[in-house]
Amino acid sequence: MTTSPPPAAPDPVRRQVDADALARCADEPIAVPGAVQPHGALLAVTEPGLVVVVASAGAAGVLGAEVTGRTLADLLPPADLDRLRAALAGDLAEAGPLRVSPGGRELDLVLSRSGDLLVTEWEPVAGAEQAGAAWHRRLPTVLQRLSAPTSLDGLTGVLAREVRALTGFDRVMVYRFDAEWNGEVVAEDRREDLEPFLGLHYPASDIPAQARALYATQWLRLIPDAAYTPVPLEPPLVPGTGRPLDLSGAMLRSVSPVHLEYLANMGVTASMSVSLVDRGRLWGLVACHSYSGPHRPSHADRTAAEFLGRTASLLLHTTDEAGEHDRAVAVARREAELVAAVGRTPRTPATALVDGVLTVLDLLPAAGAAVRLDGRLHLLGTTPPAERVAAVVAAVLGAGGATDRLTRALPGFDDVAEEASGVLAVEVGGGRGDFLAWFRPETPREVSWGGDPHTSKVTDGRLSPRRSFARWTETVRGTARPWREHEVAAARALAGHLGEAVLARAAEDDRLSAALQRTLLLEELPKVPGVALGARYRPSEADVVGGDWYDLVPLPGGELAVVLGDVAGHGLSAASVTAQLRHALRAALLRDEGPAAALSALNQLVGALLPGEMATVVIVQLDPGTGRVALANAGHLPAVHAAGGVGRLVTDGRGPALGLLDAVPYPQAELVLDAGDRLLLYSDGLVERRGRPLPEGIEALREAVAAAAGEPQEVVDGVVAALDPAGDDDVTVVGLARV
Amino acid sequence: MQFAVDRTAVHGRPALRVRGELDIATVARLAECVEAELSAAPRGLVVDLTDTAFMDSSGARQLARTAKRAAATGTALQVVCPRSNSAVRLVIDLLELDRLVPVVETAGLTDGEVGS
Repeated sequence: MTTSPPPAAPDPVRRQVDADALARCADEPIAVPGAVQPHGALLAVTEPGLVVVVASAGAAGVLGAEVTGRTLADLLPPADLDRLRAALAGDLAEAGPLRVSPGGRELDLVLSRSGDLLVTEWEPVAGAEQAGAAWHRRLPTVLQRLSAPTSLDGLTGVLAREVRALTGFDRVMVYRFDAEWNGEVVAEDRREDLEPFLGLHYPASDIPAQARALYATQWLRLIPDAAYTPVPLEPPLVPGTGRPLDLSGAMLRSVSPVHLEYLANMGVTASMSVSLVDRGRLWGLVACHSYSGPHRPSHADRTAAEFLGRTASLLLHTTDEAGEHDRAVAVARREAELVAAVGRTPRTPATALVDGVLTVLDLLPAAGAAVRLDGRLHLLGTTPPAERVAAVVAAVLGAGGATDRLTRALPGFDDVAEEASGVLAVEVGGGRGDFLAWFRPETPREVSWGGDPHTSKVTDGRLSPRRSFARWTETVRGTARPWREHEVAAARALAGHLGEAVLARAAEDDRLSAALQRTLLLEELPKVPGVALGARYRPSEADVVGGDWYDLVPLPGGELAVVLGDVAGHGLSAASVTAQLRHALRAALLRDEGPAAALSALNQLVGALLPGEMATVVIVQLDPGTGRVALANAGHLPAVHAAGGVGRLVTDGRGPALGLLDAVPYPQAELVLDAGDRLLLYSDGLVERRGRPLPEGIEALREAVAAAAGEPQEVVDGVVAALDPAGDDDVTVVGLARV
Repeated sequence: MQFAVDRTAVHGRPALRVRGELDIATVARLAECVEAELSAAPRGLVVDLTDTAFMDSSGARQLARTAKRAAATGTALQVVCPRSNSAVRLVIDLLELDRLVPVVETAGLTDGEVGS
């Protein structure tokens, strides 16, 4: 395996590995290398005869006696032989090393089986490092510590610390594999002076599948001297089988030269790794390195390290679940807080989500969020550009609502891969295309490596952490951290609440604005001496209150001001602007300075108090006695003056719509309303129709007014009937005449 | 016609071509696009209403808001709306929007030729 890190021993032979080294590595016969490491001897013997069939070269040196053609009965003292036979009668996995003394040398004898043969491995006790009894006395405390953390970070941190304390390696790391077998250093304990590797990532190819398969069954591997010369097995093929001896279960198994090159490049002089297995699947590794020569922890210490690894393995699942549970609870709590915030300000849910102490971006771990409510888009953090958000969200919604690899899953989004490789999108009900979305950047942009890849001393060589990091980066390009189930659930729940809030608010808005609108319309037309009036208001069929209003304001001098206006927009906000304008205009008209002056004053008010709003209004002020009419129009449709069977549009006395320009004088037109004449004011709902140019609508109205006869109310009703306006806007018409 | 806002360029200026009906239902999309353009404070921006079939008061109000935002970002805004598009042009004329923002026949004019 190719775990991690420091400076390359300039070994010209090992560094001559060609570019195909990794590919070859994947095909290497790692289970049957035909050789062992030199820190012990291997004898494969028959059962029950215990006749030596295969031996590592130089085994005689380790055992102090010639081994070829011998049996273990020849080599072991009788007491040791008895213990061996007892062990063979039981479960080998529980046998543990036998401390034996052939020829007076103290050796640890480790037993395993390979095919029909018993594999015996003999490791000298002398020369091994001992953690000593002190550490083993601490074991209960260590186990306590290992089981205390409620997070994986905590668990792996304790594991790295304790394995290093136990084995004395210079650096101990915990790697975790992701779903694609890429690795990450998630915990590290190291000599102070070493460069940190925490956060380093490795591509799956660094540890080939066959090695991972081996690690899932063999829990501990040791290379006490990474510069060792392999010791061949003799004979190379097991007699009678024609095959080399399978060393999968052998502790002395010689490792791949590619792996040794990797270690050499990183300056690793001794290495050990312990598997972490979660419910049968290789979860990660504890990887241990020394950088200062050979290092061989005693068999007892290795067993203890493996025990820690196995214990941690059992804790992985529950700790991860506990952590996941904590995260899920935290996300759910934030979701509830956001819902509560929306509940406190139901009129402005977007504000609650975007401007609060807790925003929608805090709901779950993401780099950016988008909120589209009432058709308005709000962006938080790092997101695609505003004009791309809707397209990205629509595509992701169409593909199930969540992706951790946008550009790989959907075409056409390469431009946003950087900030939005991960997208979680949820619709907010209400049929307005509202949504919530969260974005996660491409994984390589999220990771940090404790070391600096540019200044790292371990970046040289074909096989090095930096190369691994670079290859890993390519592997995960275009992907983001996956969305957790509880995150998706929380996002959907929040959107669900919002949808309900929006619907409830819309219903309430409709009631409110309808009520407001009623106050804007006159229950009954005032009786003004000398004036006949007609009016008609027809609300929009779309069940949305528009911004139309009309008003009749009798002035102190006996004149009558007739107002018809229209605020841009619909719904409650338009209705409230309408109410303000209506009352302000009344006040301005009562100053009796004429319609144009009233418009100028109203325009200033809009500019100062209602920025961004726009309204049109036409005012006629009639002297019933003389028929003299003053008219001023702020961007509104022209009034129609019907006289003698001819309809005329009053196109003078015009100025811009209210709210366009800050300070602007309005002109005023003068005309005379003779007896029998009619003057008609109306809103755009009367003449505006999709598919028909506005000029045609106005012309149709002019003709209808000219053709109509009778009292103003009859004229108004006749005109509405004739024009038959579409129902998607409110329609307001006021007619007046002298009597 | 389906409503759409296409981003194009006219003489090096970013341009937003508004197609279909610009009304209370669609105006938010124009607003988003405008906001996206103006956030970069470009020197010029064209809003092309040549292919806009219909514009209601909400659409007109958005043009007014756009003009004010453009002024704030120092962007020379130009609205293209030929007289042949009478449905939209009349709304602009009635509201006298051209007193707030230059409204031209085609986007081919240079800034120097733009009236008002």
